[in-house]
Amino acid sequence: MASESSASALSANEPSVNDSAANESSTNASADRMETLRAKIAAELPNVDFVLAYGRGFDPLHATPVTVRGEKDLDRLIFDPTCVQNLATSLYGLRGKRLGVVVKGCDSRSIVQLLQERLWERENLVIFGLPCEGVLDLAKLRATLDIASARAASFTGSPRDGLLRLTFNDDGGHDGERTREIETKGLLADKCLRCQHPNPLVFDHMIGPETLPQGAQDDYADLAALEKLSTQERFDFWKRQMGRCIRCYACRNACPLCVCKHVCLADSREPHWLSAEATLQEKWLFQVMHALHLAGRCTECGECQRSCPMGIPILLLKRMMNRELKELFNYQAGVSLEAIPPLHTFLMEEDRIKDRGLLW
Amino acid sequence: MRIGVMVCHCGNNIAATVDCEAVAAAAREFPDVVFATDHMYACSDPGQGTIEKTIRELKLDGVVVASCSPRMHEVTFRRAVERAGLNRYMFEMANIREHVAWISLDRKRNTEKAIDLVRMAVEKLRYDRPLTAKSFEVQKRVLIIGAGVAGIQAALDCAEGGLDVVLVERKASIGGVMSKLDKTFPTIDCSVCVLGPKMVDVGQHPRITLHTLSEVEELSGYVGNFEVTIRKKTPYVDWVKCTGCGACLEKCPSRKVPDSHNEGISTTTAITIPFPQAIPKRAAIDPTVCLHFTKGTCGVCKKVCPADAIDYDLKDEVVTEKVGAVIAATGLDLFDHRKCGEYGGGRYPDVITSLQYERMLSASGPTNGHIQRPSDGAEPKTVVFISCVGSRDRSVDRPYCSNFCCMYTAKQAILTRDHIPDSRAYVFYMDIRATGKGYEEFVRRAQEEYEVQYIRGRVAQIYPLYPLAGPEGNQLVVRGADTLLGVQVEIKADLVVLAVGAESAHGAPALAEKLRISYDAYGFFLESHPKLRPVETNTVGVFLAGACQAPKDIPASVAQASAAAGKVLALLSKDKLESDPQIAQVQAMRCIGCGKCERTCPFGAIRMRELRDGAKRAEVVETVCQGCGICSVTCPVRAIQLAHFTDSQLLAEVNALCRTWTETTGS
Repeated sequence: MASESSASALSANEPSVNDSAANESSTNASADRMETLRAKIAAELPNVDFVLAYGRGFDPLHATPVTVRGEKDLDRLIFDPTCVQNLATSLYGLRGKRLGVVVKGCDSRSIVQLLQERLWERENLVIFGLPCEGVLDLAKLRATLDIASARAASFTGSPRDGLLRLTFNDDGGHDGERTREIETKGLLADKCLRCQHPNPLVFDHMIGPETLPQGAQDDYADLAALEKLSTQERFDFWKRQMGRCIRCYACRNACPLCVCKHVCLADSREPHWLSAEATLQEKWLFQVMHALHLAGRCTECGECQRSCPMGIPILLLKRMMNRELKELFNYQAGVSLEAIPPLHTFLMEEDRIKDRGLLW
Repeated sequence: MRIGVMVCHCGNNIAATVDCEAVAAAAREFPDVVFATDHMYACSDPGQGTIEKTIRELKLDGVVVASCSPRMHEVTFRRAVERAGLNRYMFEMANIREHVAWISLDRKRNTEKAIDLVRMAVEKLRYDRPLTAKSFEVQKRVLIIGAGVAGIQAALDCAEGGLDVVLVERKASIGGVMSKLDKTFPTIDCSVCVLGPKMVDVGQHPRITLHTLSEVEELSGYVGNFEVTIRKKTPYVDWVKCTGCGACLEKCPSRKVPDSHNEGISTTTAITIPFPQAIPKRAAIDPTVCLHFTKGTCGVCKKVCPADAIDYDLKDEVVTEKVGAVIAATGLDLFDHRKCGEYGGGRYPDVITSLQYERMLSASGPTNGHIQRPSDGAEPKTVVFISCVGSRDRSVDRPYCSNFCCMYTAKQAILTRDHIPDSRAYVFYMDIRATGKGYEEFVRRAQEEYEVQYIRGRVAQIYPLYPLAGPEGNQLVVRGADTLLGVQVEIKADLVVLAVGAESAHGAPALAEKLRISYDAYGFFLESHPKLRPVETNTVGVFLAGACQAPKDIPASVAQASAAAGKVLALLSKDKLESDPQIAQVQAMRCIGCGKCERTCPFGAIRMRELRDGAKRAEVVETVCQGCGICSVTCPVRAIQLAHFTDSQLLAEVNALCRTWTETTGS
């Protein structure tokens, strides 16, 4: 039974692996943790088809998903604040296999949601949980630096208060090098600043040490700022943003919970919901559909917005839906395997919706 | 596709504010429309005849009628197109009466809107596909919930008509409110004497299965094939052995239990038979007060029972019954007068409810028919009746009239003067509503023959004369207005009787949810149509009888019960019923097997089947599906489509509307 195995997984079958490291300032890039991660993955390799993990990408500031199929792949593993991808995104397309997957706290919520919606089977998944203190938002770094010319990057300390040391080629084009140190605090992704679940919520192996949430409770300040605008101003804002959409569907493809890509309404011709016309209405309608299909499901991993090549703030739409869900039903997606989403239940009287008057 | 359009004038109902000829002319321009006309009454014989003739002559594939609400005549027109050889689902209706003509006088814009609606209907029809109904067997049994006079009458009528009846009653005995009444208006005949024989008939009828102390836990299924789960609460007495001799009642040591049959004005024992005429006449233990269950002591009843029927270890029983139809007859409860502070809010013992007074008047009641003040047992000489307590009163959220209080107040005033000839009776009233046969004459008799003082006005306050000493010390002062004389009045009363209004039975909304029927803000069940379908509900196969629908007196309840029984007998006279083909359909290719539809379906109409490769797919149980469409909107992949309301069909309508909008506004 999926529920039994998931229950045991939630009850932390492995205590924090590296107790000595817990006392030091924990960082996403601790060497001890990498050793533990490699050992754990090596031990599980015979039981799975392959393990989805992070490796170094095309430059020192980018990570890329790697599939670990044997001992030789273990050297490729990395885990540091550049590991921004949500590896759970790949899961739905790999149904039927038996997989291992490396997750951060936020990614684990996507897995919880997939399991809760019976879109994956718990017994076919080995989860390596990595507590995380934050990942970079490269857009923030890009704003001040030409990151493409960075030749090396290294992190010291926790991403919350540590440093990123970048090495560039010298301007003169000689072999000389120039380094620059930047506080990582200002580079963290927005979702990390309000992160309430830095430790994976579901896992088979917790590659410790566990950490504490850093963010204040999410006050939806971004939404509040938008809502301060008049209706017309907000309409104009969205017209401007949506007008830039190129309908590449990267947002859809990056979403771990967009599980019907193979029959997506955007591509359907019967019924013909969306036409191929590149009009504002068609672009906008798709984003609204996407947001509505994720109401009560979106875990705000932010992959849609991160993957958008046009930088459209589409996460706002999903956060809007989530705030409504929280206010109306006190529900948050992806934090409990047993929870029944409010939109999948029927109650005569919801606690926070009084529409029946004095009867009860 | 060849589509015909008929625009109905509905006399002047539509034609007065819509240019029907213009609508028909516009419709001729729509794609696939080969014929469009207007007609004075599309639903009339000539109107239907024109539709049939046109279908045959022009070889139409589908028909649009723009007229009234489909709730009224969709069936009529579907039959008409079927007679002409079309599938009945190749028909669409545009409501240009309720949705257009009746809501605006602007003829030009009305006509434009009517054209839009017709265009939407035409576009949907282009995506319609023929659907065929399936037929299924029915259970020739009926469930009746509530065994008051309405439930009893419905049960007897159904049983006499040849149906098996499952009668469920929450209390230990059948009889309901009527069994508590002393006399009935306007004939002053003994209530339980006329009800008693019917109760006995219910108890003895071979076709009636009686479940008392029972409640409906769940109703699943659909018309013709409901399955009901009934929880039979245990009486801790083996009712097969119990003879109703009453030996246990005499010996039971806990004697301070408020007697609910007597509305709490007397006490009874923890093991009890509610009243002498109870059906079934069997003893039941109330475990909340019984010493054996509360303290673990006693056990007297078990010792004295000559039939050895007491068994403290009995457990609740859950039974399931299969039935073809359901009649809800859950009756009413009374307004709680403690909500009315001006009448003492329940603080004065000599301010009682009308039903408590009724028990007092009853010869089988706690006082053997003698009227006594609860405070000191003295015979009251001045009795004040206050009507409309919890009726027609917005301040306590009871704006409706409770229908029968005027009449029972007149009856109780007459009986007061009958029982105590030297007494005086006063009635404070707002209006006298005596509209039934012989009712007005009855109230006249109370006023003229029995000299009951009717004072038109509300009571502002009741307060005790206490602490004044003397014989008047226990009296209450009733202060109110006489609005006919325009003066304040104060009456020193020995006893005040509040004519409390009716409320829906406690728990009625919860039951309505189980039965999937609608109810109003006060918990009364909603009929399907206030005039033409007064005993049907919007859930096919569930009917209403008695005061669960609205406050009703006995004759009205009995009449509605017989009407509901007639409906059930007509429904179940057929061996097979046709299922509605407008149900959910799964496109297995799209289904991802997540099972959300299975979890959200309120009717249990979806199950998961396993393919050969182990993948799961949703499957609709056709006879169980009610076509509500919840699964369709739940499905993340849109793999479930509701037949006759598919995405394509709805989208066609929306697109038609938007296209018109774009054309007319040019944007």
